[in-house]
Amino acid sequence: MTAIPKSRSLALLALPAALLIVGVYAAPMVGLGRMSFNETGPTGAMVNAFSFDIWAQMLGDDFTWELTLNSLWLSFVATTAALVLGYPLALFLFRTESRFRGLLIVLAVAPMLVSSVVRVFGWLAILGDRGFINFLLMQSGLASAPTRLVYNLTGAAIGLTESLMPYMILALLAGFGRLDRTLEEASASLGAPAWRTFTRVTLPLSLPAILLGWLLCFVLAMSAYVTPKLLGGGRVFLLATEIYDQAITTVNWPLAAALALFTLVVLTLFLGTYSALSRKVQA
Amino acid sequence: MTGVGAGPVLKVFAALVYAFLLSPVLIVIVISFSADSFIVFPPTGLSLQWYGRLFGHPALMAGLQFSLVIAVIVSVLSLALGVPAAYALAKGNFRGREALANLFLAPILLPTLVLGLALLLFFQPLRLTATIPGLVLGHLCVTLPFVVRMMTTAFATLPDEVEAAAATLGAPPWRVAQRVTLPLAMPGLLAAAALSFLLSFDETVISLFLSGPRASTLPVEMVRYVEGRTDPMIAALSVLLIAGTLVIVIAVEKLVGVTRAIGR
Amino acid sequence: MPSLSIQGLTKRYGATVAVDGLSLDVGAGEAVALLGPSGCGKTTTLRMVAGLIEPGDGSIRLDGVDITRQPAYRRGMGYVFQSYALFPHMSVSANVGFGLDERGVGRAERDQRVSQALDLVRLQGLGHRKPKELSGGQQQRVALARALVIKPAVLLLDESLSNLDSKLRDAMRQEIRDIQRALSITTLFVTHDQIEAFTMCDRIAVMEKGRIAQIGSARDIYDDPVSRFVAQFVGRANVLPLTRTGDGLSLAGAPVSVSSVPTGDVDLFIRPQLVKLLAPSEPASGLDRLTGKVTRVSFVGERVEVVVDTAAGRIIVEPPAGTTPPDEGADIGVGWRPADARAFRREDA
Repeated sequence: MTAIPKSRSLALLALPAALLIVGVYAAPMVGLGRMSFNETGPTGAMVNAFSFDIWAQMLGDDFTWELTLNSLWLSFVATTAALVLGYPLALFLFRTESRFRGLLIVLAVAPMLVSSVVRVFGWLAILGDRGFINFLLMQSGLASAPTRLVYNLTGAAIGLTESLMPYMILALLAGFGRLDRTLEEASASLGAPAWRTFTRVTLPLSLPAILLGWLLCFVLAMSAYVTPKLLGGGRVFLLATEIYDQAITTVNWPLAAALALFTLVVLTLFLGTYSALSRKVQA
Repeated sequence: MTGVGAGPVLKVFAALVYAFLLSPVLIVIVISFSADSFIVFPPTGLSLQWYGRLFGHPALMAGLQFSLVIAVIVSVLSLALGVPAAYALAKGNFRGREALANLFLAPILLPTLVLGLALLLFFQPLRLTATIPGLVLGHLCVTLPFVVRMMTTAFATLPDEVEAAAATLGAPPWRVAQRVTLPLAMPGLLAAAALSFLLSFDETVISLFLSGPRASTLPVEMVRYVEGRTDPMIAALSVLLIAGTLVIVIAVEKLVGVTRAIGR
Repeated sequence: MPSLSIQGLTKRYGATVAVDGLSLDVGAGEAVALLGPSGCGKTTTLRMVAGLIEPGDGSIRLDGVDITRQPAYRRGMGYVFQSYALFPHMSVSANVGFGLDERGVGRAERDQRVSQALDLVRLQGLGHRKPKELSGGQQQRVALARALVIKPAVLLLDESLSNLDSKLRDAMRQEIRDIQRALSITTLFVTHDQIEAFTMCDRIAVMEKGRIAQIGSARDIYDDPVSRFVAQFVGRANVLPLTRTGDGLSLAGAPVSVSSVPTGDVDLFIRPQLVKLLAPSEPASGLDRLTGKVTRVSFVGERVEVVVDTAAGRIIVEPPAGTTPPDEGADIGVGWRPADARAFRREDA
């Protein structure tokens, strides 16, 4: 409709960026696929080949499936916790008439702009053996020895939950945009108590936002590396940590590539099942 | 308002969630002034020693410098490449526009862990790992799609009529861009620059794959440090990073609103 | 002032034809309105003239020079947008001076012409303001000044008054018309509002489905519509179903005469002002007549509207000012001169 410049020639403006994306995204991804069909020789050195050895080895290894279950379980727990905690906060931000609403939203979302290492460090100070929680527990006499809260699955789950929450809150807020305040008011004016209004009006109407937010955060959780690695202290074994270890520590590139692709396949299968199920729920 | 506003229960819950969400950042600030040699909270004494030691730590300082250089180059390149592309997507009407938009979105959908690995394998034979160009290209994979997306929205929401008016008044296309489109898109441009700087500066996973000796970004050095030792020096560094982030976030909020800028 | 000539202008969007072989001549200094309902292609036509939409077929000439494929920025048209499309980041003066900058006009002359243009639209002293600090009417004037200051070849106005409230609209109509006459600018004006078209233009082109249905003076179009569409879109009309008898036409049994009658089923059209109220049994030589009952008399501001139910249907009558209106419920006759009535083919409902 603008028709100011000859709009076809505008495509040229996108060319440099498109070439860059093809060069440093598409090409490496093809390379990654190719790498997974190479072999590792007896010395551990990589051999150019075209075989399914690595795939067979990986899929036949119980450890792979243990990693998969660990990753799915940790992601499920952290994402669900982020939803349970994030939903009321998002609802509060949606409803509040405070003049600080803008600031409150920034506060809820800003942690995602702070380096994850910084936040991990904060959690070490809260959950560590000489951290804040253990200080409280021991001072109050509830515990006589420090409780292990970091360098295990608990610490990884707590840190991951916190790192997912800004994304969850954003997704929920975006979804709430469709939530019509007058419907809630109508329900309240018809005499429904607050919790009935919530379960019968607010919750069903925000279901699409919940489903979408949960999905987004689950995908982020499955590929999170830094938070579970540092808060898990090397004792939490996930697909993400294994990919990094195989690539950098063991330098078994074919296996790292196969694991990465395997993770993508798991995610894709999960996405497919999830969207089929959520269509059913919403129908 | 009968039970529809933010009721007291909701407010209390929201406050607790805020405490959970912000406690790591707040505690880091307190710890940074600790006099202890380990992470102890509450600290047994206060001092500024960790700030002093931080500035004398060669690896972290080198990482900081390296990260700043990378982030500046990345944000300049992201805008230089991304803004014209966004303009084409928002204002153009050519075949394959949809496909192009999807191409720019694709890297956002891919976990950075997989992308980082793919880049490592791709760059190693090209001798691009542990180099500034390699890290810049890797970070562009994250920032460029982001800038394209943000600016496409910014350009698309500019009223077409205003640009048409400039054309009827005798301005050729490049003058329209220069006198009308870019000035009107300026807040979005500055926000995109600031956020791509932050994205690059904080990028950890891709950098972990692509960094090497003598070419290591600050987040990578921080991960290495935290893996090895637990003393409050990282807290002191974190406070500086939080302050820097805060300045940028406030600036962006003033320009366009943070939620609008990063809302996905 | 140049003249504008449009020949066979056509624009298709996929399967739909927005403008369909439209031809129109606007004389030098003349103001022509494109009047029509939304979706009739009038704005598309205007945008093609401005160079904002590329025409599919046909030609646009300015004083005989073909400008059909010229880009908008070379055409020198003054376009006033419905949304005003002021540059929000520029002051009023900068807005008005924009076109002069693009023409490389020197600073002194530019400032002088900007201030003249602001005088012309009575916005003296507001040059430093930003558009958002102005009222809707003032923004409208800035848009007008911005289009006029470049001494446009043709002034193009797109529904330019539709965003103003009705009082302001009346005043702006007069103002724009006065400026247009004083500068004798060739003007093409798009509107769906017939009062705007009537008061602001020398000639009116009524558009229907991408074509010009009728072109002429306001009087011509009102008095002598060429089609059912024009008769119904411009002004109001009573529509009564006609039946064909052996040798003529009848209205609920009463014989009537109409000058030219199309084939097929037809309806009779008569303007409310052209219907006379008669006593029930009053003989009326030279008039076709019906009898009926007055069902409602309403005062619509300065005029009176009488609704009469007849055997042929409901008829609205607007008696001349000063007439004593009949009582509601009274028996009454209505009559009209056969020359004032028109017959148009019935539409398939």
